[in-house]
Amino acid sequence: MKLINKTILYYLLISLPLLIIAGFISYHLIRMELRDGTDEALKKEKTNAIKLIHSFSEPHNVNLSFDSLCTIRVTTAGRTGEVYTDTSIYDKEEEEYVLYRFLRSYYSSGKNNYLITVAKTTIEEDELMEGIFSTFAIVIGFLVVTFFIVNWLLSRTLWKPFYKTLSELNTYDIKKHEYHQFQNETTAEFNKLNMALSKMTEKIHSDFLQQKEFTENASHEMQTPLAVVKVNLSLLMQSPNLKEEEMNQLQAIENTLKKLSALNKTLLLLTKIENNQFKENETIHLNEVVSKSLSNYADLIQAKNIQLETNFESNLTVEMNPVLADILLSNLLQNAIRHNQEGGSIVISTKGNTLSVSNSGEALTISQQELFVRFKKNDGSKDSLGLGLSIVKSISSLYGFEISYDYSNTLHTFTLKI
Amino acid sequence: MKILLIEDEPELRKSIKQYLHQEGFLVELATDFIKASEKASDYDYDCVLVDITLPKGNGLDIIRQLKKNHSKAGIIIISARNSSGDKITGLDLGADDYLSKPFDLAELNSRVKAVIRRRNFDGNTSIVVNEITIIPEQRMVKVNNEPISLTAKEYDLLLFFITNKNRVVSKNAIAEHLWGDDSDQIDSHDFIYVHLRNLRKKLADKGCRDYVQTIYGIGYNFKVNG
Repeated sequence: MKLINKTILYYLLISLPLLIIAGFISYHLIRMELRDGTDEALKKEKTNAIKLIHSFSEPHNVNLSFDSLCTIRVTTAGRTGEVYTDTSIYDKEEEEYVLYRFLRSYYSSGKNNYLITVAKTTIEEDELMEGIFSTFAIVIGFLVVTFFIVNWLLSRTLWKPFYKTLSELNTYDIKKHEYHQFQNETTAEFNKLNMALSKMTEKIHSDFLQQKEFTENASHEMQTPLAVVKVNLSLLMQSPNLKEEEMNQLQAIENTLKKLSALNKTLLLLTKIENNQFKENETIHLNEVVSKSLSNYADLIQAKNIQLETNFESNLTVEMNPVLADILLSNLLQNAIRHNQEGGSIVISTKGNTLSVSNSGEALTISQQELFVRFKKNDGSKDSLGLGLSIVKSISSLYGFEISYDYSNTLHTFTLKI
Repeated sequence: MKILLIEDEPELRKSIKQYLHQEGFLVELATDFIKASEKASDYDYDCVLVDITLPKGNGLDIIRQLKKNHSKAGIIIISARNSSGDKITGLDLGADDYLSKPFDLAELNSRVKAVIRRRNFDGNTSIVVNEITIIPEQRMVKVNNEPISLTAKEYDLLLFFITNKNRVVSKNAIAEHLWGDDSDQIDSHDFIYVHLRNLRKKLADKGCRDYVQTIYGIGYNFKVNG
C-alpha cells in the first residue's frame, strides 16, 4: 500500500471516532435548542391564551385549534404551576405518529381557575438522529474524496523528488557508474536523504575502486615471485644427478606452479575486464574469429576424434575489443573441446544475431546457475580452473551480450545473443 | 654475444644471468633505470632484456633511448604487468618481443636467440646441428641435406629443442611455447607426446639420430654432445 493511501486510512480511522463524538454532542445540542425553541413558542401561545381568558365575560371552555389539542378548560381546583410533556399522537392524514410537546399550565384569573393546554409538533429523536447521521455521513464522504484528491495532487508535487531519487537508485550500477551525486532538494527530508545517499554511494564507489585496485595490484605483485620460483625450478631441472623421486617432486612443483600462474593470470584478466581496461574497439566479424580459433585447435579436435560441424547462416559483426573477442570465442571453443568425449561432436552455428556452440558430453553435476560462477566446476574436470565460463560471462555482460546454456539429447549448447 | 639484462628483482636477475651465461652469452646487469640508461648509452649490446616497472623510471623510456641512439640491439620486454597496452606501446616503440612474467628460461632463451638471429643476419641464417639444418626464415628443415616436411607444431617443437639443446625442457615449457596462453586450457601433455612421436618418426625416416631423451617425470633433453 502506498504511503499516501496509508496516511489517508489512518486519518480516516482517527476522524471516525471524532465524528461519532461530534455527532453525539451535536445531537444533544440540537435537541436542547429545538426544545428551547418549542418551549418558547408554547409559552407564547400560553400568554396568548391568558390574554384570551382576560377577554372572557363568562368563564367557558375554548378549543384553540381544530384538532382540539390546544384548549382552555375551566377547572375547579385551585392548582397552579405548569408541566411540559411529550406525547406521540397518530396523525390520520400523515398516517404516522407525530411527536407533540404539550404545555399544561394552570391559571387563575382571580375568580376562576383555568387549565391551559398548548401543543406543538416537534421532531422525534430518531428523526433527529437520522438527520445528524446522514449529515455526518456526507461530511465523511466529502472528507475521503477531498483527502484523496488533495493527497494525489500533493504526492505528485511533494513526493516528486523522492520518486526521482528512487529511480536514480534503481538505475545505479556500481560497475558502470562513476560516483553519483544526488541533487539538492527544497524539501528538508528529501535533501537529507539525498545527501545521505550521495555520501553512501561515494563510500561504496571508493571502496569498490580500492577493492578492484587491490585485486589488480595483488595479481601483478604475484607475477614476479612466481617468475622467481619458475626460473629457479628450470635451473634445478638442469641438475645432472636428479633421482627419480626428485624429478617427480620437481614435476609436481612445476605443475602446481603452472596452475597458480594460470589462476593468477585469469584473475587478472577478469579484473581487467571488469575495470573496463580493454577500451579500443574495432569492428569484429565473429565468424572470422571463430574460424581462426578453430584452426588453432584443429590438432586438439582431431586428437579427440571430434566431428566438427560449422553452420554459418548469418554474418555476425560487433563493435568490440579484438583481444576480448578472441578470448570470448576461444574460451567457448576450448570449453566445447575440453568437456567433450572421445569421438564426440561440436556444432557451431550462427543464425540471426545468435552464435551457438554445442558439444556432446555428460550431463552437468552442478546446476545451470552455477555454471558461470567463478571456481564452480563440474565433477571430473579437476584440471580445469573453473574460470573459463566466468570470463565468457564477464565479457558478454561488458558488451551487453546474452549468454545462455541449454542441455538436451546429450548436447550442451551455449548461445551467445548479440 | 652481449646481453643487457635490466631487472630489479635480484633472484630473477641471478637465475636469468646463469641460464643465459651457460648458453654462451655475456650478460651485463642493470638494477635500476639510471644504471640501465647509462649502460645502454655507453655500450653496444646484441640484445636488451628490459623490465617495464623499474626503480627510478620506466623501462619504456630505455627503449625510446635505444631507438633514439639508433641502437642495433634486439629488445625484449619482460614485464609483470601483462597489459595489452604496455605490449602495444612497447612494440610500437620498436621492441622486438614481449614476454610476460612468469616465463620459462627455455622460452626466454628461444626468444633471445630468435631476436639476435633476426637482427644480426637479417634472418638469412641457418642453424646447423650435426645432420639437422634449420632455415628459420623459410621454416625449412633439412636432414642430411634432404628437406623434410613438418607440420607447424612439429617445426616449432624441433626449433625449440635445438635452441635449448643439452637442456632439460619441461613439458609445461614446451606446451607454453607451442600453444601460448591456451596451454592452460588444454590437456597439452598428451598432445606434446603425439607431436613428438610424429617428429621423431619423420626425422628417423631420413636417417637422423634420435637426440631427444625423455627425462623421467619432467620433460625432454635434446642431447647433442656426448
